Amino acid sequence: MAVYKRGYRRYTGPLTGRWTRFLVLPRYAWRRIYQQRLVLLLTMVAFVWPILCAGFIYLTNHVELLQGLDREFREFIQVDGRFFSIFMYVQAGFAVFLAALAGPGLIAPDLANNALPLYFSRPLTRWSYALARLLVLVGMLSVVTWIPGLILFWLQVGLAGGEWFQANWTLGAGMVAGFLVWLLILSLVAMASSAYVKWRVVAAAVSLAFFFILSGVAEMIDNVLRVRWGHIIDPAWAVNQVWRALLGVTPVEGPGAVASAWALAAMVLLLVVVIERKLRPVEVVS
Amino acid sequence: MSSTTPVVELENLKVRLGRREILHGITCRLGVSGTGKAVGLLGPNGAGKSTLILTLLGFLRPSAGRARILGFDCARSMGDARSRIGYMPENDAFIGDMTAVAFVRQMAELSGLPPEAALEKAHQVLFHVGLGEARYRELRTYSLGMKQMAKLAQAIVHGPELVVLDEPTNGLDPAARRRMLKLITEMKSEQGMNVLVCSHLLRDIEQVCDEAVIMKEGAIVHHCDLEEERRSNRSFVELEVTGDDGNLRAALPEIGAEGVSEGFGRWRIVLPPGVEVDAIWGLVGRQKLLVRKLTHRRDTLEEIFLKAMGHLAHTPGEASLEVGQL
Repeated sequence: MAVYKRGYRRYTGPLTGRWTRFLVLPRYAWRRIYQQRLVLLLTMVAFVWPILCAGFIYLTNHVELLQGLDREFREFIQVDGRFFSIFMYVQAGFAVFLAALAGPGLIAPDLANNALPLYFSRPLTRWSYALARLLVLVGMLSVVTWIPGLILFWLQVGLAGGEWFQANWTLGAGMVAGFLVWLLILSLVAMASSAYVKWRVVAAAVSLAFFFILSGVAEMIDNVLRVRWGHIIDPAWAVNQVWRALLGVTPVEGPGAVASAWALAAMVLLLVVVIERKLRPVEVVS
Repeated sequence: MSSTTPVVELENLKVRLGRREILHGITCRLGVSGTGKAVGLLGPNGAGKSTLILTLLGFLRPSAGRARILGFDCARSMGDARSRIGYMPENDAFIGDMTAVAFVRQMAELSGLPPEAALEKAHQVLFHVGLGEARYRELRTYSLGMKQMAKLAQAIVHGPELVVLDEPTNGLDPAARRRMLKLITEMKSEQGMNVLVCSHLLRDIEQVCDEAVIMKEGAIVHHCDLEEERRSNRSFVELEVTGDDGNLRAALPEIGAEGVSEGFGRWRIVLPPGVEVDAIWGLVGRQKLLVRKLTHRRDTLEEIFLKAMGHLAHTPGEASLEVGQL
């Protein structure tokens, strides 16, 4: 029977699990995000570098193709921590722009349209709402960061063999962990800017400016005070330092990986507090 | 949940917003769950109606006392209650770039319906509220009346036991208002849902509610069972006759009624239960009096409201009773 002839009757069937219901939000959000052409285009462009890297891995594992090349150059092109760190820098850049494009559309429209009371009057807590929004970005950015990274890692394992894996498994684990830290920071920044700025374009600009401004301020502190610890407030610099430690690459001059990790943890905490203050079904003005 | 669980139970409920106490120790029990009845929450602006609703939904925490909805504590176990509640907020609340069907489906899924059932119910409920033809349009293109209906659709799509409606007829034209009130009545009578309606429109409450609570300055000043009021003996007749009405008072007990003359042929007569207005016509006919005006009425909710607000000393019905007892 056609729907319009059936009439409305109360639903009395089984319900889905209470703890997995928040996953409904990412499902709908991903559908909406990938309807944006710019997001889709940037996602596709972000696959170019992993494809080039895959070609590089293929080359380094086929010595016969490198016969004519200089010995020093052949030693230089190795699949090691440095290779994965370069891969990560490029993909992390794409992730910044993707987060700035997709992030503002997550919370800002809900706040602008007063949709939060509708969500929170259902079995959905503020934390599960925030987690769902975080998952949208982390899931979306994973597609261009650690997932292709892991594919490259296993490609190298497949071509170089089990011995290489035994000696370098920390590279794979470090890359995934490093990317996840970066995705967490990016997602929280995008969510925080989305929660405070209702206009998408401005929210996108704010989330990009966050990184550039902090980088500039860090540089200023270092130059004015003639110190090296100023960079610790620059999230891109701090995460780079952590990545280098995870991948076994020589760190850059300045605060170490542990100090950088603490700085990132403090930043995450601050961003969570900022988001928590804004995600309320009703705003109480004291 | 027992069959006598109140829909709303408040025990000395106090709510503070900042430094200001908005609700001052409210205690009451409203409705009985599963009975398909509507409770109206009335009061002037700033009376604390919306604060009470937000507290019942768990959005605001009580500063003292306790609030329970469908037997669940609003401050502690709202997770369990929320699957059974539908909420239609007063202000615009939607996701602008979604079609109505996607929006209602998403809300149904968040309430726990499996995706296929949610899609089916979304279509059904949108047809039910009259948005069937517009269900694939984005919500931002809807008129105010359509947005109100979409809000109602998302509130009932999951078949809740209790639907909380905050000013449901706000901004609606007369036809849309009638339709909204009809839908609310159907929700009670056909779907068996309990309804909590918050409104400052007395006629809306009078039309759809079985129970009414009047709030003033953060306290409940009157709680009445409208159904009981409708059934009770508070019905009275305002009569105006010409002719010699000197014997009318003595004749009234013939039909079991009491009344007093207000002079110049004007009478106020209280009808006991079971006595219809036809009996007055018969009596007046026997007294050879000519009826110039006969108004058979009960106390309106407006009169009850005005009395609760302190603008009337007595409702007309109460005045008649007092007069009848003289």
